[in-house]
Amino acid sequence: MGRRELRLLESRRLLTLLLAGVFLWSLSSVDWKGPLIHTGGVGAFWDFLSSLFPPDLSPGFLRLALTASWQTLAYAVAGITLAVLIGFPLGVVASGSVSGSPRTGLGLAVAVRFTLAAMRSIHELVWAVLFVAAFGLSSLTVILALALPYAGILGRIYSELFSQVREEPLRSLRASGASPFRVLLYGRLPMALPDLLGYTFYRLECAIRSAAIMSFVGIRGLGFEIQLSLNDLLFGQVWTLLLFMVGMVVVVDLWSTRVRRSLVS
Amino acid sequence: MIQPVPISPLCRTRRRPMTFARASLYAFVVLAVVSWGYILMATDSGASDVVSANTWSNAGNFVRQLSGVDSPARPAYLEADRWLVTGRLALNTLAMSVLAIVLTGLAVLPTFLPGARNISNGDLGGAPSRFGAVLYHAVRLVFTLTRAVPELIWAMLIIFFLSPGILPGAVALAVHNYGVVGRLSAEVVENLEPGPARALRAAGASNLQMLLYSIFPQALPHFLTYLLYRWEVIIRTTVVVGFVSAGGLGREFRLSLSFFHYTDLALLIMWYLILVVAVDLLSAWLRRVVTRGG
Repeated sequence: MGRRELRLLESRRLLTLLLAGVFLWSLSSVDWKGPLIHTGGVGAFWDFLSSLFPPDLSPGFLRLALTASWQTLAYAVAGITLAVLIGFPLGVVASGSVSGSPRTGLGLAVAVRFTLAAMRSIHELVWAVLFVAAFGLSSLTVILALALPYAGILGRIYSELFSQVREEPLRSLRASGASPFRVLLYGRLPMALPDLLGYTFYRLECAIRSAAIMSFVGIRGLGFEIQLSLNDLLFGQVWTLLLFMVGMVVVVDLWSTRVRRSLVS
Repeated sequence: MIQPVPISPLCRTRRRPMTFARASLYAFVVLAVVSWGYILMATDSGASDVVSANTWSNAGNFVRQLSGVDSPARPAYLEADRWLVTGRLALNTLAMSVLAIVLTGLAVLPTFLPGARNISNGDLGGAPSRFGAVLYHAVRLVFTLTRAVPELIWAMLIIFFLSPGILPGAVALAVHNYGVVGRLSAEVVENLEPGPARALRAAGASNLQMLLYSIFPQALPHFLTYLLYRWEVIIRTTVVVGFVSAGGLGREFRLSLSFFHYTDLALLIMWYLILVVAVDLLSAWLRRVVTRGG
């Protein structure tokens, strides 16, 4: 074993110890003196579990759950479309492949990458809370809040996908006199498109979850109904809504998996 | 004996490519149009607010209040003691994220192997058993259930049972991320190169030995990388979970907002951003350590 490997091993051991220490520190910041579980928390837990058998399946409530699911889906889809509209051009610029002169292109790319990082460093619900305070509560405010961090993520991934395409076809395009824009349109875009599409579909699933929690600022949908049912301690209804949530995520997940698989083959 | 004719790869390329994907794209466009239509027509969309001067002056006011330029009092983010007080909350939030990620890791570690199909069907050692198959489906079901429900909703449920503070937030984050990391780790095992494990088996290794010397070492770097990636997501979500679990920055964030202590809010956002950037850098560095020579 070489000296370098030995040092690496030792630094790893040190790191492991350090991380264990960090974990112990995190445990110490939990308040262990007070009761960890509420008085009556165990009872509430069993109430909650037993309400699964059966959940509230009355036709009226199912209709409500269906409407709520649709509302959540609509917000998720609207948010993703806006995120694509914002993230796509930013991703193109961030990949540094638009400008003719390399220097301005690079400067612009760095600036846009920084913007994308800033957009995704704040959680969508935090954006929503801030936007509602600034603009007031409306659908568009919330959709913008949802779209911003998603555009930040999509923009970064798109720019990576644009830079990862094979060089040879681009070179031949350039050799035949194509402008940078044409190279993008006829070279990079068609080659990156399958991955772009696959990743966007994958993000749709995440957007459904994000749309559901927008209930916190007062947007209707699954999260909103879950909150209402929880306030009334109607655990059977909560279970029904959770199952709708799971069902919707599973369907979108299957859909996006199939899309990605069909793009690969 | 008649052998079935294998489908040549050429047949595949003759099929029109991207058929399902293209259909999905069209379906998505229709869905997007219907969704936007619904939002603009059936909800209080606020589309008219966009052009109203009132909205923009309100937004301007909010930004001025955050910066505290109009108020005679010194803004909170210029007071050293406010930085210290909220710094403790930021540390609490960081602790919540660490606790969440460790809980996730501890829960995933014993369950991601049974959740991999090539383990449960005996492809990578062991023998296929009915128990293994049942376990596989059970684990996968739990992954799906935990993953599908967002952290905030888990927190709303868990706060019914656990006392408010760091712990319920960390548990809520861990439950959701258990499903995410568990599924990804199981998929890593499913995509493992079967060579090393089979070689060990051929050399007479027991199931446990194969696990310890082939499957675990191969999967571990991926598993750790996923955990570190999720840590970056978790630190962003701690504040959100803190809204209901009342731990760390989230609780204070909500209070400052409802009491209109806007410069305090600005200070909390600064701490939030500091945490996010710090965790991103730390996670990137740790990921390099994990993959280097791994």
